[in-house]
Amino acid sequence: MKTNNQNKATTDKEQVNSRSKTEHDKEQASSPKAIVVTGLSKQYPGKTAVDSISFSVDKGSIFSLLGVNGAGKTTTIKMLSGLTRPTGGEAYVLSHDIYTELDEVKKLVNISPQDTSVASRLTVRENLEFIAGIYGADRKKQREKAEEMIQYFHLQEMADRRAKVLSGGWQRKLSIAMALITEPQIMFLDEPTLGLDVLARRELWEVIRRMKEKITIILTTHYMEEAESLSDQVAVMVDGQIKAMGSVEELKEQTGAGNLEEAFVRIAQEGGARS
Amino acid sequence: MKGLVFAKRTIKEILREPLSYIFCLGFPLLMLLLMSVLNESLPKEVGMSLFALENLAPGTVYFGLTFIMIFSAIQIAGDRATSLMVRLHASPMRAVDFIEGYTIPLFILGILQMCITYAAAVILGFILKTPLKPLAVAGSMLRILPSILLFSSLGLLIGSIFNEKAAPGLCSVLVTVTGMLGGIWMPVDTLGGKILAVSKALPFYYGVKAARTMDAKSLIISIIAALLAVFAAVLVLRKVWKKSC
Repeated sequence: MKTNNQNKATTDKEQVNSRSKTEHDKEQASSPKAIVVTGLSKQYPGKTAVDSISFSVDKGSIFSLLGVNGAGKTTTIKMLSGLTRPTGGEAYVLSHDIYTELDEVKKLVNISPQDTSVASRLTVRENLEFIAGIYGADRKKQREKAEEMIQYFHLQEMADRRAKVLSGGWQRKLSIAMALITEPQIMFLDEPTLGLDVLARRELWEVIRRMKEKITIILTTHYMEEAESLSDQVAVMVDGQIKAMGSVEELKEQTGAGNLEEAFVRIAQEGGARS
Repeated sequence: MKGLVFAKRTIKEILREPLSYIFCLGFPLLMLLLMSVLNESLPKEVGMSLFALENLAPGTVYFGLTFIMIFSAIQIAGDRATSLMVRLHASPMRAVDFIEGYTIPLFILGILQMCITYAAAVILGFILKTPLKPLAVAGSMLRILPSILLFSSLGLLIGSIFNEKAAPGLCSVLVTVTGMLGGIWMPVDTLGGKILAVSKALPFYYGVKAARTMDAKSLIISIIAALLAVFAAVLVLRKVWKKSC
């Protein structure tokens, strides 16, 4: 049984926690940064996947990570979304430390992985309800949120079809809708248009642009025209390091290139990327 | 709550695979029917009781569970091959929810399969005028419960370790071993010798015996085997969960 002193101590502690949470929420709301990364690293035995990178991302912007295969883009996203633990450095996601406040971070972010990430034998609607349920929505809320996403992504015609019969473009749309249904403040899109035809890709760009009105987006892509069309800020990664960062115009200016692809090639080659 | 949401998804995914019905229900029912016909055709003087309905029914139910193992292995190996695991890992789901999400549906499916197969056996008993005793059926069903855990855990173990192509092959080997060395389709007790020795080294022999008779030793061994399999499956699933990203 707790003594009076213990009860008082608990109440004081709760008040301090409540105060610090309120302060934290205020701090988060007032900070213009969605992500702040300092010296973040990830080492595997015999390989450094990400080598002491630092950057910050403004709220409500699209930040693109560019790089050749194995540059460390996906590992960076995985660290920031809590999928893998960094081996060094610091990172704050909406002012939450990714080491000590991972549960909070997971509630605020979501990821759309690069490969098929849908339950293939569930319908579009069931996939959406399933993810909403995983994030704690009750049955009624699951239905409402799924309907909202179906409208937002124009999935009405596909709503009751099983995911496995959808085309690549529709599956990718569903995958992004499954990430957005959890109402994240930050979304990580890992090569969202990989393997899609031009029309499907353009359609998805529109979806991403609309999402930017609501959330911050971190994008990895191999398509330079995609990064050029969508990004507010771009970082070029080579062998786990960020070799250049800025707006598309700034990168073109820095390298004297006429377009982002040329700028990327120059930065990557100077950085030692293999051709 | 999250585990149950995941379990609901797993059960839908398994039930929407048409092969689940063919193998988990169709095949055991077909075996029940075929072996009953075979038993009817055997001359009485042969004295073969292996396919008499009171032995055949629990044996077939036990054999049916091996298909639950195949489907659990296919399901988890398939899930591991997609990025759905990455999505789940990025969510507030924890390892315990993940484990619940696989084990609960498989246990429910195992019970359903057992009930349907036994229901068919009871009907067959009336048709063949060799009715099964209700108490014997109820007792057998209770004694089969640990084996449902054993096979669903074995499926999860195999599907967690091997890929989509290797897992079903390995499970098929276990299906054959269970059918033959478990004493379902082969009279291992009568054969004796090395075959019986090998049979007795495997948990399936005891599981089948526990399903057919009230042999306490067999029941205890099948419970221990089930618990060990569950323990191993939980350990491996935790590892899969951690490695899935």
